[in-house]
Amino acid sequence: MAVVAAAAGWLLRLRAAGAEGHWRRFRGVGLARGFLHPSATVEDAAQRRQVAHFTFQPDPEPREYGQTQKMNLFQSVTSALDNSLAKDPTAVIFGEDVAFGGVFRCTVGLRDKYGKDRVFNTPLCEQGIVGFGIGIAVTGATAIAEIQFADYIFPAFDQIVNEAAKYRYRSGDLFNCGSLTIRSPWGCVGHGALYHSQSPEAFFAHCPGIKVVIPRSPFQAKGLLLSCIEDKNPCIFFEPKILYRAAAEQVPIEPYNIPLSQAEVIQEGSDVTLVAWGTQVHVIREVASMAKEKLGVSCEVIDLRTIIPWDVDTVCKSVIKTGRLLISHEAPLTGGFASEISSTVQEECFLNLEAPISRVCGYDTPFPHIFEPFYIPDKWKCYDALRKMINY
Amino acid sequence: MAVAIAAARVWRPNRGLSQAALLLLWRPGARGLARSHPRRQQQQFSSLDDKPQFPGASAEFIDKLEFIQPNVISGIPIYRVMDRQGQIINPSEDPHLPKEKVLKLYKSMTLLNTMDRILYESQRQGRISFYMTNYGEEGTHVGSAAALDNTDLVFGQYREAGVLMYRDYPLELFMAQCYGNISDLGKGRQMPVHYGCKERHFVTISSPLATQIPQAVGAAYAAKRANANRVVICYFGEGAASEGDAHAGFNFAATLECPIIFFCRNNGYAISTPTSEQYRGDGIAARGPGYGIMSIRVDGNDVFAVYNATKEARRRAVAENQPFLIEAMTYRIGHHSTSDDSSAYRSVDEVNYWDKQDHPISRLRHYLLSQGWWDEEQEKAWRKQSRKKVMEAFEQAERKPKPNPNLLFSDVYQEMPAQLRKQQESLARHLQTYGEHYPLEHFDK
Repeated sequence: MAVVAAAAGWLLRLRAAGAEGHWRRFRGVGLARGFLHPSATVEDAAQRRQVAHFTFQPDPEPREYGQTQKMNLFQSVTSALDNSLAKDPTAVIFGEDVAFGGVFRCTVGLRDKYGKDRVFNTPLCEQGIVGFGIGIAVTGATAIAEIQFADYIFPAFDQIVNEAAKYRYRSGDLFNCGSLTIRSPWGCVGHGALYHSQSPEAFFAHCPGIKVVIPRSPFQAKGLLLSCIEDKNPCIFFEPKILYRAAAEQVPIEPYNIPLSQAEVIQEGSDVTLVAWGTQVHVIREVASMAKEKLGVSCEVIDLRTIIPWDVDTVCKSVIKTGRLLISHEAPLTGGFASEISSTVQEECFLNLEAPISRVCGYDTPFPHIFEPFYIPDKWKCYDALRKMINY
Repeated sequence: MAVAIAAARVWRPNRGLSQAALLLLWRPGARGLARSHPRRQQQQFSSLDDKPQFPGASAEFIDKLEFIQPNVISGIPIYRVMDRQGQIINPSEDPHLPKEKVLKLYKSMTLLNTMDRILYESQRQGRISFYMTNYGEEGTHVGSAAALDNTDLVFGQYREAGVLMYRDYPLELFMAQCYGNISDLGKGRQMPVHYGCKERHFVTISSPLATQIPQAVGAAYAAKRANANRVVICYFGEGAASEGDAHAGFNFAATLECPIIFFCRNNGYAISTPTSEQYRGDGIAARGPGYGIMSIRVDGNDVFAVYNATKEARRRAVAENQPFLIEAMTYRIGHHSTSDDSSAYRSVDEVNYWDKQDHPISRLRHYLLSQGWWDEEQEKAWRKQSRKKVMEAFEQAERKPKPNPNLLFSDVYQEMPAQLRKQQESLARHLQTYGEHYPLEHFDK
């Protein structure tokens, strides 16, 4: 697990991410030209890795929170953690490999700044990490646990679902672990395959008592993470790992909060509502442009941000206006969170719907390696589904 | 010849390098040397030395192929202070507890025993849905509770009611939780015996086993950071010790240097599963050194042994910020719960032996009698009084209504989410029309 994580980190570092986040073609590092096929040119013979399936769209520089600095996603996470440890003397950060800075560099510098009793490694044991975090939170101290990849959160499922989520309820509010936040890298990364690409939010959506939050950008990440840390309920914060380096924008240096359980309409429109979270928000944003350009269709784009408790009102309000809803996520179709949104929206907005609700999701398979370009719900699949909805 | 692990009274993990070896390896100014704790001193890397250089173990080479044989025939010895007749064996181990304290120990155990009998019966009569007795294990509860500070945080499994009893948790609240009535601080959400008390620092019990173990470690870590001078004690059975969470908790406590007492009640059974099917090693105490944890095995039916071990563990855990493991050997005299009939898997003779010949309550009573602090008359009077107290609390608990059904919906989160409020309103509307089909008359309006 550590080897692949290190490899993943190495590969991510190799990416030359341009200012806009565009990927460069990846030429075999260290291999001489024509190594594989002496007769052919590199251009047509060598198998190149894919260009990213999205284009990160930074938001305009925020003005209301003071001085900003250009940060990528992992830096915005570090900034949030830095702010938290500065403000809250009880706050501690722990997990596998967080001491040296973390496999995705989210905790770089924090141990030196705040001390080894506040930023420390744990043994390699997710159920222990979460259980330990719950215990810290029970005493009232702030626990920020890291699970190295969301794919590895499952050993901690019992502690999260049976313990953390139910602590307050089962004790009649005598005890709680509200000051627990679990952070974890999430989602596809181009080459992660089964165990470095998962989006497990749907498993946790079925669990009253916790909050699940997924940011689309560095600015969103810092504000949402700070809200999770300060929230009086245990929170899971999934960080789209493909955005760690690829997404960069101006982010306030000082702490600020973005509210939980509030979806954001990032683009207004009148014909179709598009809902997504995390990386996929950038995909549907592009789909909205394509729809405008090719079909003259005006899309309302919503970033859900909090998976549970989710903002039913914002989504329903939008669908009442547009009459059409498309939801997209990387996670498999069946039982994915789009099914919850779809079910609720058809209950609340049945008579407003002009077409069946569309879900564009990953297939009902484990996340494949070499087939990733075919697996993911890319802009073409979303565009096609949108087109069908318009023509319904 | 098998390499036997020496049976010591206190089981100490091998701390590795001898003093001489340390001197040989010390090179001033070298990189990567001693961290705060001597046992983690890394050797100066040198290919000239024939000594092992591996970061993963501090040990010498051996050129003879030998497997270490686990020693289960002659396991870790069992520390005790009193014999089965309540007589002190080694006077230097007598804690010399004052009379009031010993009487409190005795009365806590017997009151618990009385409450257990009445509540077990009440389940049989359909008054409460479920119950678990503590028969035979009362000594493990009160002996350890008496050795702690009142503010030490307790994480239990489900058979530690005596700890609460010792901390003067009122009978009314025990019963309220079992009945799920309006006085239950837990608001009627859990099955009986899932007690919790913030005031008395007893974290609410949950049914999943061993989940409390890594949690207790986290709490201890926070206590250490807060300089709270507080120990956390974590109770669990020998069955729960098989769970992954137990392994996780032990390892975290040792590596993160937490002031915690792991207290294992080894009572011989996990429902119907005897210890021979639960583990193959030398019980739970033998696992401690594998994690680097100071460990001891005690006679759990000897209140003074439990007290002494817990007292010393507490003192050192807080002073040295390290975990301690106490395995208290005892016997579960009662059934696992009211859903169990243990005659299906063990003999009545076996149960009777423990009930008659080796019971924590009778052993302490013999001690009290021999001290002249108790007699037959006081025994009779106390039995009558404790039964009366329990019956009064019981009758009161019976009569109280259940909490308002609105409490079904609160405390899921600190604040009630909009969607949940809608569901709450939906139930209210439903009851307006269909209320006659629900037992509303027993619930607070």
